[in-house]
Amino acid sequence: MKGLIKKFGKINSSVLLLCIIFLVLELIGHRHGETSIEDFTFFPAFFGFLSCIIIFKIGVSLRSFLMKDEDYYDK
Amino acid sequence: MISNFPPGFIMIIGALLIPFLPHIIRQIYMMILVLISAYSLTLGFGIHSTINLMDFDFILFQSDSLTLPFAIIFHIAAALNVIYGAHEKQWKQHVSIMSYSGAAIAAVHAGDLFTLFVWWEATAFTSVFLILAGNTYRSYRSAFRYILIQVTSGMFLLAGAIILLINDGSALLTKFDINSLYGQLIFIAFGIKAAFPLLNGWLQDSYPEASEIGTVALSTFTTKLAIFCFAKCFAGTELLIVIGAIMTFYPIFFAVIENDLRRVLTYSLNNQLGFMIVAIGIGTELAINGAVAHAFAHILYKGLLFMGMGAVLLRVGTCKASELGGLFKYMPITAVCTIIGAISISAFPLFSGFVAKSLIMSALGKEGLVLVYFMLLFASAGVLHHSGIKIPFFAFFAHESGIKTKEAPLNMIIAMVIASALCILIGIFPSTFYQILPYEINYQPYDFSHVVGQLQLLTFAAFAFICLWHFKIYPPELNSTVLNSDWVYRKMMPGVLIPLLKLVERMNQKFEEVIMISFSKTKILLSNTMLKNKVFDREVGSDTLIVIQIFTVFLILIFIGQFFYK
Repeated sequence: MKGLIKKFGKINSSVLLLCIIFLVLELIGHRHGETSIEDFTFFPAFFGFLSCIIIFKIGVSLRSFLMKDEDYYDK
Repeated sequence: MISNFPPGFIMIIGALLIPFLPHIIRQIYMMILVLISAYSLTLGFGIHSTINLMDFDFILFQSDSLTLPFAIIFHIAAALNVIYGAHEKQWKQHVSIMSYSGAAIAAVHAGDLFTLFVWWEATAFTSVFLILAGNTYRSYRSAFRYILIQVTSGMFLLAGAIILLINDGSALLTKFDINSLYGQLIFIAFGIKAAFPLLNGWLQDSYPEASEIGTVALSTFTTKLAIFCFAKCFAGTELLIVIGAIMTFYPIFFAVIENDLRRVLTYSLNNQLGFMIVAIGIGTELAINGAVAHAFAHILYKGLLFMGMGAVLLRVGTCKASELGGLFKYMPITAVCTIIGAISISAFPLFSGFVAKSLIMSALGKEGLVLVYFMLLFASAGVLHHSGIKIPFFAFFAHESGIKTKEAPLNMIIAMVIASALCILIGIFPSTFYQILPYEINYQPYDFSHVVGQLQLLTFAAFAFICLWHFKIYPPELNSTVLNSDWVYRKMMPGVLIPLLKLVERMNQKFEEVIMISFSKTKILLSNTMLKNKVFDREVGSDTLIVIQIFTVFLILIFIGQFFYK
């Protein structure tokens, strides 16, 4: 545990710990979503993680044609 | 008597005195103006003030269950702006903010489209000075584009109002039919101010160019006035669900790659407006409550985030993620308040964003709009990414930028602490907050499913960001310009239209030359023929000949035309 905290940092490890706690909470209680798809176990966790990765990947791929020099409009 | 004044009106009139007051007295005076304006809200619902001009009844002050929450939050925001800007000794921005806030508040209480038009344009003309206060060549150019677009929006509104008046003999601010011409014109007018997709360029172009105080004020009023107008006039219009869903979705990607943190916040603002637009499009009581609650909460946490970045801009002179970092040890209070704003916008339980956004998500779930629901859920993860993490992380943590600075001025801290406290209070006491919403509501946001689901979504999205950063997959922020829809009128139009206009000009010159040569040849031919055949006894002038030519062409056209109109 100490090795993980040392390797990953205090804040990062805390977030990881929170993630685990919220997963365990779902197992203790009964969570249901606004839609039936959300009722799958750990759905929000998967959805949140994947969304963030997808947003990052699309954002980075957009860099090549949306990102211009800082003085682009001043030229 | 003074309570019959439209709320906000006293702020506009009172702003005229601001330049003549010494600094401290000016600040107290402005706060009194806000309080007097707020006193008008105690009159209750109904029409309180009308004026007859040119046989038209202008309804200056009308209040109902929808105007009240907007009026309350606009007054709170105006008071926070006074506190936040108290370090500014020059009077110009204070006049602008006070009259801008007043115009927006007065617009909310307009009962007809022409009164709304007056305040609609007043918000544009009073706020443009806040962009000019950025005091750079870029802000000057941006202000020019801003006012052009805002006035264009006003023209659409006026055109719609006139057509409605001609058709119905009335221009009351009520629910409009999107299928009518006037409805479409008014819809576009509101859509421009609400920064609809492809009409949003002005927002990201102008707000980050304003002064540090100006951006806070700008983020509050213009777009939320448009949201109010949509809620009033187009609630239940299904087209808004589609537009709103797109609005929540696409600014996320721009926000991820944008380097200027205040511009990141404008993309985030755009994305948040999308949530409200979707809710208005649904149009049920729960959804409208959600839209209003979200607008209310959003003004506070977005203002708070802009305040945090404004304080950084004031102290450091830049808001570029590539140049910032490690400011937490120098500006801890600003950092904590910005983090509270970031947590609120991300909709963590016990913060304002959660209790507001839950209403919209529940409304979507109830209506069975699954695709839109998941688009908004995806956007929620995006909000956490760009506003919840990117803003505080790159400004106050990330890497050591080497910048040494000091904490924000006391007045800025006070404003940020108040806004932070309100974000938390709304989150802790949702039932009290829900009481000011337009419709009665029996809703409990804090049930097991909502809380655990939301916490899983957010913590795992945050964990994804941590992984990307920790394993150095996240690329470094770069000094850059990210292309947006304003590219169309800033680059494409000048790039295409100017050469096109030059080509048309050259063609026109050639055409004129050909015409002149043919005219002169015809003239000579006609003159010779007429003189030879003695058509006229007297000398024929060249002007007469040209008239004869035109008349001949006209006769030929009539001759040809008769075959088509038999």
